[in-house]
Amino acid sequence: MPKQITDSYRGLRQYIIIILLVAAAIPLAVIGGSIYYEYRASVREKVTTQLKSIVTHHKESIESFLQEITAAMRVATHLKPLDKIAQTEVLQNVFHSLQREYKHAFEDLGVIDSKGAHLAYIGAYDLLGKNYSDAAWFKEVMDKRVFISDVFLGYRQVPHFVIAVKEGEGKGAWILRATVDAARFGTVVENVRLGHTGEAFIVNKEGYYETRPRMAGDILEKIEPGSLDLAPFDGVKFWEVKDKNGQKVLRAKTWMKDNNWLLIVKQDVDEAFAEVYKTRNMAIALFVIGALLVAVVTFFTTRVLVRKIEKADEQKRALDEQLIESAKLASIGELSAGIAHEINNPLAIIGQEAGWMQDLLKRDDLKGIKEMDDFKDSLREIARQAGQCKEITHKLLSFARKTESVIKNVNINELIEDVIGIVEREAAVNNIEIVRQYDEPLPLIYGDPAQLRQVFLNLLNNATDALKRGGEIKIETGTGEDDSISIKVSDTGVGMPKEILTKIFDPFFTTKPQRKGTGLGLSICHGIIEELGGDITVASQVGKGTTFTINLPLEQKRGET
Amino acid sequence: MPKPRILIVDDEERFVTTLAKRLIERELEVVVGVYSGKEAIEEVRNNTYDVIILDVKMPGLDGVETLREMKKIDPGIEVIMLTGHASVDSAVEGMRLGAYEYLMKPCEIDELMEKINGAYELKTARDERIRQAEVRKMVDRRPG
Repeated sequence: MPKQITDSYRGLRQYIIIILLVAAAIPLAVIGGSIYYEYRASVREKVTTQLKSIVTHHKESIESFLQEITAAMRVATHLKPLDKIAQTEVLQNVFHSLQREYKHAFEDLGVIDSKGAHLAYIGAYDLLGKNYSDAAWFKEVMDKRVFISDVFLGYRQVPHFVIAVKEGEGKGAWILRATVDAARFGTVVENVRLGHTGEAFIVNKEGYYETRPRMAGDILEKIEPGSLDLAPFDGVKFWEVKDKNGQKVLRAKTWMKDNNWLLIVKQDVDEAFAEVYKTRNMAIALFVIGALLVAVVTFFTTRVLVRKIEKADEQKRALDEQLIESAKLASIGELSAGIAHEINNPLAIIGQEAGWMQDLLKRDDLKGIKEMDDFKDSLREIARQAGQCKEITHKLLSFARKTESVIKNVNINELIEDVIGIVEREAAVNNIEIVRQYDEPLPLIYGDPAQLRQVFLNLLNNATDALKRGGEIKIETGTGEDDSISIKVSDTGVGMPKEILTKIFDPFFTTKPQRKGTGLGLSICHGIIEELGGDITVASQVGKGTTFTINLPLEQKRGET
Repeated sequence: MPKPRILIVDDEERFVTTLAKRLIERELEVVVGVYSGKEAIEEVRNNTYDVIILDVKMPGLDGVETLREMKKIDPGIEVIMLTGHASVDSAVEGMRLGAYEYLMKPCEIDELMEKINGAYELKTARDERIRQAEVRKMVDRRPG
């Protein structure tokens, strides 16, 4: 097959494959993508809700913890008047009962009078006599009756915070002050665990850690500048940031303790969305598998399809060639007929003139001419050649004639037998055996007996010519496909090469020596068989012989017009 | 034996004249040639002919039409049609209309002579029968 055509099939195949793949991939991707994003949104919602609830819950528990301690201290100040509680033993009792109640969260406990002087103290440090009158917390507690400090290191270099409660008014007012271990308090927050990366911590409004964060920084260290928005707000805020390792982090925050402390709960996005990523990977895997499947199916289907098209094209090409061949024969036929007709009249005149001259030469007064023989010879030749031309034009016209033939029922076996009768004697002389293989009884066909005789006579004559050194001519008849009969005429003669076979039905094509054949015999046969709605084909092998096959329909397929 | 009077009709002038010369050479009588159907009909109307040699394919009035007209004028006239191969059908139709025979152009002079003689014999025989019939009729009519 030519390269161009192969390329065009490859192009067609690629085109179909691409179109099908695109058509399959787009909906697949759209469905997969939209399901994934829906799912992701719902998981995000879930994660957000979870973080928010943790934040809210812890805010409540820390605030209640602080309130509880404050309330307990308030109870103590109510129960014990200043003169009692300023006694070390009494304060000791209060300290121990508080320690029992709150699991040793207290570092120390002190009583301070309205002037800021330490009246009594229980704890590890010697703070007695220390005056707090200038301390900010003292002023605040005197003003607001309750004070809870931020975490600070203080004299002890240990993170802690102070709770102070004021009792009484005016000069008789006094303060019960407790130091709470910040680390101990922080465990409440620090114990928040959310998967592997989740944590909670508290930052004060200046941006210092109030509890120990699990991942980075330490208690009382300042947070990374700019990493946290410290503007106060109500309720819970939720947002997503990138930490310094480039890790995406989800955060929820809320202010508490009168907007002094910011509680933050965070979790890595990767962990929070692990489930989503798993789903995403599965979706991608499904998409790839689906796409591969579609690709494989597309590839094979297309291959089958293109092959079928290729085959159909091939058949069409073969059919086209046949059509072109018949059209060629028909046009040659018409052309030849036209020429033959035009030549006929001049030919008649030439013949007539030559005849007239011959007539004249017979006159008595011309008998004495010296060149008489030459004249006569010349004129005879003119007449003979004109006759030859007449033969040709008549054959041409019969090849192309459009006249109605005499159609009747014909028994092909009998008709062939008639024809064999004509050639048999000559065949015998040339040492040719004629083998008959008739299918009896053979259905009758419609045809013009005279024309059919001409066809078989032609074929038998050709076969005889092909068998120069004797041989066998075999004639087979039989019923063929589609209500037709087939006749095969084969010889064991010299055969023909392919170049000749393709031209064998062309008018004027002959392999016979000049003047022996007109080259019209087989074209006339072809015309007659076609006229009857049949076909004639030839197969030949050089040195082995030639077979002509004729198929004729039982019913006359053409209209009898 | 009297010689047949011949009329040749063909649009090819040279064909007519030469054929006429050849037929005269063969001692046929009053050979006249015309070059169209119209002229031929005129000629038949004005003169008596035994055999007409008529080309089928002519411009204007063709052979078959001409033949039909001639037979109207003189049913006893014998016509030999000359035809190219393609117009055999017309020749067949001509014979249905009463033509004696057809010949394919170009034709051998001897063949043509044969047909002319055949046609003429037929005509004379028929004319003879007609004549005898007329004689009998006259005899029968004679009051007796």
